[in-house]
Amino acid sequence: MYLVVVGLLACYPAIYHLLTQSPLGEVAVTVLPRMETMVAVLYFSLFAMSFDFVSGYTGYLSFGHAAFYGTGAYTVLLIANGKVPLFGPETPFLLALVVGAVLATVLAVVIGLVSFRLTGVYFAMITLGFAQVLYVFVRDWDYVGSNPRDGIALSGARGFELGVPYVDQLTVALGTLTGDTLAIAGHTLGTTTVSFYAVGIVVLLCFAAMQRILHSPFGRVMVAIRENEERAEAIGYDTFRYKLGAFAISGFFGGVAGGLLAGFKRSVTPESGFYFLTSGDALLASIIGGFGTLAGPLWGHLFDETVREFLSKRGQGGGLLPYLEQTLSEAFLTTELVGGLTVEGFITAALNGHASLYVGIVFVLFVLYVPDGIVGTVRSRLGGPVARSLPERLWGDR
Amino acid sequence: MTLALELVQQALLQVGFVDGLAEFVRPSTFAEVVLQGLSKAAIYVMIAAGLTLIFGLLGVLNFAHGALTMIGAYLGGLVMVLTVAQGTGPWARLALFFVAMAVVFGLLSALGGSIEVSLIRPLYDRPLIYQILLTFGVTLVLEELARIVVGFYGLQPLAEWQAALGTIPAFLETSQSLGPVSVRGLALFEILLGALTVAAIWGFLTRTRYGLFIRAGSEDSEMAEALGIDVRRVFTVVFALGAGVAGVAGTLLMWDPVWGASVPLAAESLLPAFVVVIIGGLGTFRGTVVGGLIVGLVDATTTWWFQNVVVEWTWLPEVAIFMILVVALIVRPQGIYGVEEVGGH
Repeated sequence: MYLVVVGLLACYPAIYHLLTQSPLGEVAVTVLPRMETMVAVLYFSLFAMSFDFVSGYTGYLSFGHAAFYGTGAYTVLLIANGKVPLFGPETPFLLALVVGAVLATVLAVVIGLVSFRLTGVYFAMITLGFAQVLYVFVRDWDYVGSNPRDGIALSGARGFELGVPYVDQLTVALGTLTGDTLAIAGHTLGTTTVSFYAVGIVVLLCFAAMQRILHSPFGRVMVAIRENEERAEAIGYDTFRYKLGAFAISGFFGGVAGGLLAGFKRSVTPESGFYFLTSGDALLASIIGGFGTLAGPLWGHLFDETVREFLSKRGQGGGLLPYLEQTLSEAFLTTELVGGLTVEGFITAALNGHASLYVGIVFVLFVLYVPDGIVGTVRSRLGGPVARSLPERLWGDR
Repeated sequence: MTLALELVQQALLQVGFVDGLAEFVRPSTFAEVVLQGLSKAAIYVMIAAGLTLIFGLLGVLNFAHGALTMIGAYLGGLVMVLTVAQGTGPWARLALFFVAMAVVFGLLSALGGSIEVSLIRPLYDRPLIYQILLTFGVTLVLEELARIVVGFYGLQPLAEWQAALGTIPAFLETSQSLGPVSVRGLALFEILLGALTVAAIWGFLTRTRYGLFIRAGSEDSEMAEALGIDVRRVFTVVFALGAGVAGVAGTLLMWDPVWGASVPLAAESLLPAFVVVIIGGLGTFRGTVVGGLIVGLVDATTTWWFQNVVVEWTWLPEVAIFMILVVALIVRPQGIYGVEEVGGH
């Protein structure tokens, strides 16, 4: 089943290309997320997974998780700008990514040592507090760049290269403008598509690693802590250590996700890295996709981004607004509704960049009526993890 | 490297430190800082009071509190801008301000009540986390709705809504001198209003029958129910009250040039409110007042110090209140007056 999902995602560029070239092209451009968005979905859902890894499985709501995402992103960019001692600006991206992730892990251990003395709302709040301290700190730390409030960008025009360091044949450059194009079997893959695959491979590896941990005895203890911490302690597990371990692992993958963000975008702002609403987006993805299911955040964030882009401003790829403006007649658009408000004015006011409203409504509906999220609900319908029970349903119990 | 340099610099500033201390303990300076701190404390207590009422009884950490404050700021500003033409004198404006406050309190109580009945009520049987998540979703919706309305009517050319700020009476805007101490009129007004709000909530909780129901419900909701109190209705009333108090706080923030009515106000007011209620102990009203005082005074003191002595670190005053949060949680995780398990029902 995972292979099918990975296969589907791997085919997405081709599907997107085919559909947008087909007679249905206009509709496809309107509905489907662009490739740039898909890359963002991949690395952000890795972050959301790392959030879900600790919050969904141990039950401790880590509301300042963006701290790890931001640490990863800032470390990678600072190394590339030559501002980190011991690591020159020529450090390969992969190494910088690991350094960023390790720093995020260290940070997670420090925050965890203090925070895991608390539970419930207090835990959520103290992690939030730590992240906000870091947020305000990087926002005003003039060491990172001349204008820290606007974040930092990679100096120079070169991009990051992902792959095996020092082996040119096995590395590809990331990004939309400076990335590589590849020619395979007569087809030329665009720069974004190449980045999509490169980032996708890293995300897939991280997903597999987290999945492996969750299915190990360690992961069982995490779930035991979520279900009944006192009992887990009574059995003899040192729950503090397990929680700290889970938090540190989660910090590591959060750092990797942040590094990928920096690698693809080549810039990061305090808002996109450290702000508490970034953690909120991860929470959104986890709830919509399914809290406590590792694959859920991917679907949740894909949904989130698709809705956002569908309702995005004009001029940024396809979306509902330009589509309506093109297809609806002029006379209908200028019809007056109430008090000088035309249909066009209403559509613009209601749709122009206000996707958060609809995402928020969907989120509320999910909390109320679909508490298990997309993946969780499908699972309980099928009576087990999709990977195991769907084949059973389709082909019987073999 | 720069950090190390700054540390050295700060060590060299020892002379400046001594001078600063001498200046700080001068009675007039000290009194000014304390008054600043009290006015900040008043604001913190007002934005946190509604949050703590709701948490104390329902056990719901209301993430939508900041959005309600923001909506209160806009509504209050709207009432002021629409009515201020009728009364241009400073006292008439002040009277109108209280009218605006009452209107906003009513409107937001209605909004809060309907949110509780329609959205939160179905979730009481679920784990606590779902109620928090739900209010988080409500925040997104309210914030975006506000953004749509504000954008549609073009209210927001600047970060703060200037038209609403322009309705402040002149005597609140200028500095008033109390003996050797000079302080902004608005700061005194904020202290007064904060004290009034605290007294009103205190009186309501301890002197009225409904307040007794609320205290009984937050103590032990099952027992209160057994004694014939309709706890569900008390929940609704408290949620409405909390939202109303958030609106009142928003109306005050609308006049304060440091805050002002703006959409980001939702997040800006929510975070300090969290800090205050956690330091004081979640859900205890007494703790919130004390927590607000601590945060306000420490905030004013650190701001003064870093403005007058250590000018290089501009980010420190901003980070101060989160530092207080982290230190407070390390030293006393359950807050000053908090108990380990609150709102477990």
